[in-house]
Amino acid sequence: MNLNEESLQKIAELSRLKIDPKDIQAFLSDFNKVLNYVDTITELDVSSVSDEDLYPNEGNTLRVDQAKEGLNRSQIESFAPSFQNGYFVVPKVIET
Amino acid sequence: MSDLWKLTYSQIKKGLNAGEFTPTELANSLVSRIEAEDSKIKAFLKFEKDNILKSAAESTERRKAGKALSEFDGIPIGIKDNICIEGTVTSCASKILENYHSPFHATAVEKLLAKGFVLIPRANMDEFAMGSSTENSAYQITKNPFDTSRIPGGSSGGSAAAVAASFVPVALGSDTGGSVRQPASLCGIYGLKPSYGTVSRYGLVAYASSLDQIGPLSKDIDGVVDVYSIISGKDPKDATSKNLPAFEASKAKPLELQGLRIGKMKISSEIEPDVAKAYESLLSELESKGAKLVDLDFSLLSNSIPIYYIIATAECSSNLSRFDGIRFGARKDPSGKLEDLYVASRSEGFGKEVQRRILLGTFSLSAGYYDAYYGRAQKARTLIKKEYEGYFSKVDLILQPTSPTTAFKVGEKTSDPIQMYKADILTTSVNLAGVPAMSIPIGTDSKGLPIGLQVTAPSLQEEKIFGFAKSISDWSSKVKLPEKIQ
Repeated sequence: MNLNEESLQKIAELSRLKIDPKDIQAFLSDFNKVLNYVDTITELDVSSVSDEDLYPNEGNTLRVDQAKEGLNRSQIESFAPSFQNGYFVVPKVIET
Repeated sequence: MSDLWKLTYSQIKKGLNAGEFTPTELANSLVSRIEAEDSKIKAFLKFEKDNILKSAAESTERRKAGKALSEFDGIPIGIKDNICIEGTVTSCASKILENYHSPFHATAVEKLLAKGFVLIPRANMDEFAMGSSTENSAYQITKNPFDTSRIPGGSSGGSAAAVAASFVPVALGSDTGGSVRQPASLCGIYGLKPSYGTVSRYGLVAYASSLDQIGPLSKDIDGVVDVYSIISGKDPKDATSKNLPAFEASKAKPLELQGLRIGKMKISSEIEPDVAKAYESLLSELESKGAKLVDLDFSLLSNSIPIYYIIATAECSSNLSRFDGIRFGARKDPSGKLEDLYVASRSEGFGKEVQRRILLGTFSLSAGYYDAYYGRAQKARTLIKKEYEGYFSKVDLILQPTSPTTAFKVGEKTSDPIQMYKADILTTSVNLAGVPAMSIPIGTDSKGLPIGLQVTAPSLQEEKIFGFAKSISDWSSKVKLPEKIQ
């Protein structure tokens, strides 16, 4: 299958990505090449695979429910783009 | 002692323990080699010489005081830039993480430090481990030490080139679809993709969690065996880590070739003639030593790349959603609105290949296409696993060339994503099945470029792979790593 520009823009929006308008045709062409390549799996017969095969019940690996020391504020500050008074700073999201 | 860089991993380990040289002398030799030659290779991103020499000096002191942490104390090891080292930038060769100082060590790193290894970060890579040539790094293209007009393979190209250029005797990479084995093959060294779940992924920046695995690359087989034995084993911090003890290096003993059942593939047109020749010569040699060759039908595995790209990109779209400019990495805030901040930070921070994979993953997970693509790919992956189970009911090991070609020219495949993806055509199915595989150097082509053999074993049977590698060490010793980098 081939995606058109509008559908690609929709997927970019869902991915929180913006494709530069000057790159859109090249991106669309590459994307469709890849899509056509992976499309071959739509022809594979997978009817022999059951849901049990797909999700074998191996049980969950759970940690003990125990409070542990986490990262301290100075560690977070070392990698956060904007951090003040123990909080990540984000743009205002509530209109007043 | 200025040419200590020439030594193999085994010679280094032996020399350090015999007191023939100190960790500081060794580190000085390697650092000088890197300073003199890495401008041609570009294996490392920021190179923190002072930290390296400080770690080596600490190791020297420990050894002098008779308090070595282990027999490995002072051995230098290259670390790929997607494996976290506390206090060090872990950028995944991406602009979005250019200032990210990891607040913790990856479990593999912690285990290496406990044994006294000297860490040599940050080996270059394809951005977020997405690529087959190390041309997708946001910072620099790494070159192949055998021929600097060619790529080293990817995505662990920095780690592989660093070993092949004798900057380090051993290095850590990560393998999602062949990213340790393929560059190991193109750089003439050993590279292991361990069984899924045997090495903790804690602190390995996730690309495709159900496929990723940290693996060692080394000049000689003992480097791979030792490092694997150190970094393997159950880690409570990784829920996918298997409840197994670490691998015991003493189990890696040469394998009896007489009666060994070896699965082989039919050579297709995709395999370069020189690669096919080296592969077939080795098979004949093995047969003459009593191994039994069994033809296997790999036709189902030809679907591996499409299956791999659907699954890997779906996981990538999910894993990379955390990079939103809020908690870590670079932030772009053009309008002061939250949505714009996400979009600008991600669009400017991620390179083209990463964006392409996020988009493909988002597409295959989207409501209208989920069943046709992602759901079907998961079922097809189960078929691949069953296929391997079928093979291993007939054979002990599977041998294939690791890469269909030797190292290609820089820029040769960058304009065609499909051609680039096909560089991993023989390696991706191994990750889908979760089995272990290693690339072993077995020769060179007419241009002197290395050829690698991929040895695949049933899950958790790494010792068979190591044993086989030891049994054919004569072949591997034919590949000489370059002393002069041109």
